Amino acid sequence: MPALRLPAFYESFLYLVLHWIVLATSWNLLSGYSGYFSFGHGAFYGAGVYTTAVLAGKMDVPFAWTLPAAALLPALLGVALGAIVFRVRNVRGELFALLTLAVTFVLATIVLNTPIDGGPGVYLSAVAVPSLAPTASGSFYLMALALAVVTLAIAYAVTKMRLGVGLFAIHDDEDAAEVMGVPTYRYKLVAFGLSCGLAGLAGGIQALFVSYVTSNGTFNITVPLTVVLMSVLGGTRHWAGPAIGATVITILLYASTAADQAVAGKAVVGAILVGAVLFMPDGILGLAVARLRRMRAAASSIAQAPPAYATRLPATAAPRARTGEPLVVVRGLRKSFRGVRALDGVDLDVREGEILGVLGPNGSGKSTLINVVSGHYRADAGSIVFAGRELLHLRAHRIARAGIARTYQIPRPFAHMTVRDNVALTAMFGGEALDPGEARAQAGEWLAFTDLAARADALPGDLNLHQTKFLELARALASRPRLVLLDEVLSGLTPGEIDEAVELIRRIRARGTTIVLVEHVMRVVTALSDRIVVLDQGRVLAEGLADDVMSRREVAIAYLGTVHA
Amino acid sequence: MKKHTSVWHRLGLAVAVTFFAVPVALAQGAQPPIRIGSTLALTGPLASTSLVHKVVGEIYVEQLNKRGGLLGRQVEWIVKDDQSKPDLARTLYEQLVTSDKVDLLMGPYATGAILSAMGVAQRFNKVLVHHTFGIPSLAKYEMQFPAWSLGADPANTVPNTVLDALGALPKPPKTIAVVTSKFPSVHFMSLGAREVAKKRGLTEVLFLEWDFGNLDYGPIAARVKDARPDFVWVGAIGLEGTQLLEAMSKIDYAPPLHFYMYPAPGPMSKSPLAKNALSMTVFEEHPPFTNAAGAAEFISLYHVRAANARIPDTSVEVQAAASYTAWQILEAGVRGARSLDDKAIGAWIKANRIDTIQGRLRFDGPSNYGDDLMRVKQVQNGRWVTVWPKEYAAPGATLQVP
Amino acid sequence: MNLPSGTLLAQSALSGLFIGGLYGLIGLGLGLSWGLLHVINLAHFGLAFLAAYVCYQLASVGGMDPLATLAIVVPLCFALGVAMHALLMRFRVSPLNSLLATFGITAIIEAGIQSVWTADFRKLESSYAAQKFRIGELFLPLPELLTLAIAVALAFGIWAAMRYTDLGKAMRALAEDAPVASAFGVNARMHALLLAGVCGALAGVAGVCLALTYTLTPAQIYAWVGVVFAAVMLGGLGSPLGPLAAGIVIGVSEALTMAVASPSWAPIVSFTILIALLLVRPGKT
Repeated sequence: MPALRLPAFYESFLYLVLHWIVLATSWNLLSGYSGYFSFGHGAFYGAGVYTTAVLAGKMDVPFAWTLPAAALLPALLGVALGAIVFRVRNVRGELFALLTLAVTFVLATIVLNTPIDGGPGVYLSAVAVPSLAPTASGSFYLMALALAVVTLAIAYAVTKMRLGVGLFAIHDDEDAAEVMGVPTYRYKLVAFGLSCGLAGLAGGIQALFVSYVTSNGTFNITVPLTVVLMSVLGGTRHWAGPAIGATVITILLYASTAADQAVAGKAVVGAILVGAVLFMPDGILGLAVARLRRMRAAASSIAQAPPAYATRLPATAAPRARTGEPLVVVRGLRKSFRGVRALDGVDLDVREGEILGVLGPNGSGKSTLINVVSGHYRADAGSIVFAGRELLHLRAHRIARAGIARTYQIPRPFAHMTVRDNVALTAMFGGEALDPGEARAQAGEWLAFTDLAARADALPGDLNLHQTKFLELARALASRPRLVLLDEVLSGLTPGEIDEAVELIRRIRARGTTIVLVEHVMRVVTALSDRIVVLDQGRVLAEGLADDVMSRREVAIAYLGTVHA
Repeated sequence: MKKHTSVWHRLGLAVAVTFFAVPVALAQGAQPPIRIGSTLALTGPLASTSLVHKVVGEIYVEQLNKRGGLLGRQVEWIVKDDQSKPDLARTLYEQLVTSDKVDLLMGPYATGAILSAMGVAQRFNKVLVHHTFGIPSLAKYEMQFPAWSLGADPANTVPNTVLDALGALPKPPKTIAVVTSKFPSVHFMSLGAREVAKKRGLTEVLFLEWDFGNLDYGPIAARVKDARPDFVWVGAIGLEGTQLLEAMSKIDYAPPLHFYMYPAPGPMSKSPLAKNALSMTVFEEHPPFTNAAGAAEFISLYHVRAANARIPDTSVEVQAAASYTAWQILEAGVRGARSLDDKAIGAWIKANRIDTIQGRLRFDGPSNYGDDLMRVKQVQNGRWVTVWPKEYAAPGATLQVP
Repeated sequence: MNLPSGTLLAQSALSGLFIGGLYGLIGLGLGLSWGLLHVINLAHFGLAFLAAYVCYQLASVGGMDPLATLAIVVPLCFALGVAMHALLMRFRVSPLNSLLATFGITAIIEAGIQSVWTADFRKLESSYAAQKFRIGELFLPLPELLTLAIAVALAFGIWAAMRYTDLGKAMRALAEDAPVASAFGVNARMHALLLAGVCGALAGVAGVCLALTYTLTPAQIYAWVGVVFAAVMLGGLGSPLGPLAAGIVIGVSEALTMAVASPSWAPIVSFTILIALLLVRPGKT
């Protein structure tokens, strides 16, 4: 490790830079990646500060031994808080920010009013600094350097692991991510624990660096505000973004310490921040990454002129047998929303290998059925047995893992992930459970299958409706599900596009995948489906072969309101 | 003969001037100035008071250079802005020592930053004179010297001084309410006040603590009013004292006797509510303090400079006086040691007594603190006047009670 | 320990009510801007303090009545609010980025204040400060009463305006779905600028109220951020009445804690209540 042998001040200054790199990067692990914007980073940093201060300053524990505790205690605190908070579906966005801010105040009050501090502050002058370098400042620099390297390595590794992909998906659309198989609850907990632990470790070292610790100096809004600014400036979607932001801001602050320019310097720093955010809205690295992606996207659309119609199937995908045995058995399924019964005792079977069309007027419960089977909503009562396994009390990501995939009526792609990454995600988290590298490779094949290969590096926002719908399909298929729930994939498409889609659906089924097709376009349903179920007011109105069902009197009433006998 | 003598005298003088003044002048031309480095919290939450220290330091260095500087060299003061952050203060002091390579250090403003600077001074064996360090027990470095003479055990001595003053009243207080901020440098004083009051037989009718940064003083005021103490000890720093005072006035309550630890001096003396409010001081703009050598000149200079710097309250009191004293100590140390060697300066300061505008100071007690020179002052007619002990009272001033 | 007297409790609750009203008043513009314009406007605090200093200058040096300064402060802040939002809109700044941009603006305002008025304390001495009403054993100081009245009047005024006027309805529509609202002929740009101006003006009013009661220093800008953010987020973004209600909940619960227990424990009560409310609150947002 580089012991620079510079004057102590450089080492201390570098220490400050590295300290902020650790704090900002650790904040970004949860808040930047998953979008759970924490305003309470100061609480966990402060927990680390006080762990070391109390152990080393009051209980004479050697400094080095306090550091594991300074990491562990905040991490446990974070995980415990997360275990409560992440169960509450509504605590997202600014409410999560508020909650973490409130935790900071609560923690500060406890520290101030108990023997942890009690008021006078904790003075660490008697604590020996580990002699890693000839000077104390050099030792601090080396400790911070080691921690920063570890933190950045973790931040980088996370982006390359399922964890990172899952967190980015949570950022864009948490419910969809869960339905695609991302164990959102667990991932958020892990990220929160890592984030808090690293912040606590930085706090533990900082306690000795300042050597006099006060509650007011520790638990204030400066820390959360600064780490947010640093991360946003550098770019929150890149592992190195916060580090770059932290370096820039620390240097800027340091540059304005000459007494004569202190006030003016402050204004200049403010102006630079304003300018930076206006001209680099995605942060310094965000800008760089976007440039790179546009270049790559341009290159790939030239290199891979799309085949007229891609028919190639992913090599690993072997067709399944059409057995005709019941794959899904739904009994007595109920779901109410504020007293309105959306599903009122639905019984139905889906047989292995068939296409089951689900019809019904608006509000008949079609979409609710899909939402309940896919785990998006939890049913009030009843039973859903899939391949011999009860799904009713499983979390959505377990249902996805069991082999059920779905599309959304209004497509819900992950807006900040490329088309390829969108598809790779379900390959990673669905029934197939590939590792990230394989998943990305296979995603390419599914994109070819759905004729999207040319747009692999585009963002979903750049696709047209037809392509977006096909992306939904590609995503559902990439998990190699046994059952696909298609929620009005055809709505909004032109007749030509519908024909293409119908062809695609046939080819999916040809591979042995069972399909439940919720659709409004009646001719498509009758043409594609082996059997049809008609729902009305949350109940099954009719079930049977397509032509048979459509000619029934009660179906006509449900659809048309009157009977023209 | 007379004429002759005079001529020879002049000649002698001329020779002397040629032999001594020229080398000095040459030396001044040839030798670089002595550089003294420090930080101050020029921005951030502590900036309101730091400005005083900046003005005083500039005045002192200017005066010093007019007198011919130190050891025949001019003096240059390098100030940096620590932005009210102790970790930045530490780094900047390291920069001053290892990169700017200043000859001497001067302390920063406020407890946290001073502790940071003290750590750096200790690692590099530099003398650190500091103006306003409030917790003597934390000053553990042998070459740090306090300019603010509050004694080694202020938590004991300061409350005793206050209660001595009140005890001399025709009707001394029998009950006390101690209300205090949990700001470290006032909190331990307030805890000391509780002990002292107990020992002296006062009944404590209320003890309250609030978090520094509290915004609502209404309930605290209401509780003080409810407790009806004869005397309220307010452990408050900066604006907290004024805020509590305002909150008490809003519920139509004026405490009979009230003491504030470290009030923001200007706002409190100007507040119409602060009539008879007590506080502590080491220097005020009246005799006997103004009799100290250099005090009068400093005061008149400070009035002009503070006004130029747009400081609303231009009178010299604790902060400005302690700041001036710090420079006096450093100057005396260098002159006494006749060198810039920190060890020699430190040893000299420790072994000698130094005359300052606060009086004659010594540095041989615990933590290099000497005597507690804190006096009791009171707001009378919109200004602070010292009222106790009597020999330091402003001419004709006595402790006023309602 | 004696039981606290009824007067003490009532007086403390009043004190909490007043400061809660101020939280709500500062939070009003902040929440509207966050909820309806999607700008997390940290500069709201900077603007409020700028207004407070201008009020101080006009009243202390210029000899104006502090309330009369509203006639100058409010249009000034309205204009600054519009200008600031025009800049943010021109660059389509996202909510998170708006936090960074407005932090930069706040730093500029803070530096500006410090270079004009220095970092030293400034206190507006006005004839209002000493006036108070008495009801039985309780005292109602005029500046606080004025602040609370202004906060309540503005919160309800804006609530009514958003509910009953076409302009208000258009603004809500824009916040919910700008493209659809635009399709119905709502001029999004004009409305957004107008609303930003109103938020700025609200900061101005809050600033005058601050100057009436508090001693000013530039660093005080940040003293209010934590608790006001809490009030806004708890009260609901874009809600005119929410921050006021939430501010009063925080203020009163803290004041009552201070009346019966050690004041330094007060934040734990208010923020524990807040956390509990957050976890059990039925689904909104």
